[in-house]
Amino acid sequence: MNTGQNLRIGPFEIFYPAEQAMEQHRQREIESFPGTLFVVEGIDGSGKSTQLSLLHKWLEAKGYGVVFSTWNSSPLVKDTTKLGKKKKMLTPATFSLIHATDFADRIERSILPLLKAGAVVLCDRYIYTAFARDVARGMDSQWVRELYGFAMKPTVTFYFRVPLETAIGRLVTARDGFKFYEAGLDIGLSDNPTESFRLFQGRILAEYEKMIPEFGLTVIDATLPVEVQQTQVRQIAKTHLDRAKELRVQP
Amino acid sequence: MRRTYGKILPGMNLGDLLGKLIVVEGTDGAGRTTQIDLLKTWLEQRGHAVLDTGMTRSALAGEGIRRAKEGNNLGRVTQSLFYATDFIDRLENEIAPALRAGFIVLTDRYIYSLMARAIVRGMYAAWIRSIYSVALVPDAVIYLRISVDQLIPRVIFSRGFDYWESGMDVFPGQDMYENFRSYQTALLAEFERLSTEYHFETVDASADVKTVFAELQTKVLRILESDSRRDYVTARRDGLADSPLMETAENWIAAAREVRAKDLDALLRTAAAQVASSNGNGHRVA
Repeated sequence: MNTGQNLRIGPFEIFYPAEQAMEQHRQREIESFPGTLFVVEGIDGSGKSTQLSLLHKWLEAKGYGVVFSTWNSSPLVKDTTKLGKKKKMLTPATFSLIHATDFADRIERSILPLLKAGAVVLCDRYIYTAFARDVARGMDSQWVRELYGFAMKPTVTFYFRVPLETAIGRLVTARDGFKFYEAGLDIGLSDNPTESFRLFQGRILAEYEKMIPEFGLTVIDATLPVEVQQTQVRQIAKTHLDRAKELRVQP
Repeated sequence: MRRTYGKILPGMNLGDLLGKLIVVEGTDGAGRTTQIDLLKTWLEQRGHAVLDTGMTRSALAGEGIRRAKEGNNLGRVTQSLFYATDFIDRLENEIAPALRAGFIVLTDRYIYSLMARAIVRGMYAAWIRSIYSVALVPDAVIYLRISVDQLIPRVIFSRGFDYWESGMDVFPGQDMYENFRSYQTALLAEFERLSTEYHFETVDASADVKTVFAELQTKVLRILESDSRRDYVTARRDGLADSPLMETAENWIAAAREVRAKDLDALLRTAAAQVASSNGNGHRVA
């Protein structure tokens, strides 16, 4: 790839491809942001959202300007995603791209300005979710990583590691039925939704395991009691908050 | 056998893409649409099955892009990826099935326009190239070359300056004429660079429609003489009407008609919405 002459960052100043050589550059750039980015990752049923919401409450109580951002929530893009899912029009490639588009919109219009302003941004799922799901659907792993080359590296990514059976046990009691794409029914692993979900989440779990060393994810044992996990999360978060300004919201 | 620019999408079998993929590239106002319409009619008269496709015509993302462009909050990365979604949807659901059925696919712009637009908007060239590494390498890329000075009168006397085609999201200030000039100059320079890298066949688009068309015909005829196409034509001539190939082709034609009808409907709705929001300058939305 011809990268030497194209080292133009353009108006979007943190724009780099996911190449080793650029990793340091990216790291330096993120350090110039006063904001803090905490990410939770894990398979469905790992309890990551619960943990993030507890962290959210704690940070708010401490007076930080905290903003919550969830996967797949861009107002500009979500109608298209909804259309694609409802009509089952999405292939592994377009599934990947429409989620990247959604993520880009959230980065450009929300996450990046917030980090520049010194906020603490909490993301329920981040690029690692895309890496895990898209690769589990058969997309090329390098292609997906380069696709998300515009993303900034989180301050900490908490990965809630849980055995597949534990996660499924939690989900089965908590809700009824699996959605088409969530269960990976689009790639034909099995006609039975529960079985397909199991196989698909198993693949995703394997991808997460590979990403722990690759991206330096912080592993939290999600089989521990909620309170114990939260104590660990807060202890780790605390050590990274020195850069965050205290943006108090006026009552 | 057909190739891609590096990566192959899951489920894409390069071995069965028999048809011909012909790209017509060029900036807005270079005459692409006119020439594609002429080519399509001419090729159909010669007995070829032709699919024409172009940017933002996907069933998945076309409408979403049109809606996003109506506002003032479509970011540059988001824009690039939204267009990529539209492109890949058409690649997988229109272009590849048509090629599989032995069609001639005429595409009004391809990854090159998308890359040029993204790069001019400051996107990292290696990034955008990596995304489009899954695209099929066309049988020919015909580039309608025109200079900014030749372009301006054409645009002024047809649809007028469009917000996005004038790079109003790229350049500061409100002067549409100046921005159009700067944006198109940057875009054309990028096309020149891509033209060497991707071996464009350049046609001087400043000539009249007939002259340009004659040149395009010559180029297209040359492409049609290659082997895979000849095999398909032979299959048709020999009356293989019940072969899976022909069945696929027929199904595909029906599906394509449906998509195009929906597309037209969406366009009409957008146009109606445009009038309702009383933009007032009477210019067509791209």
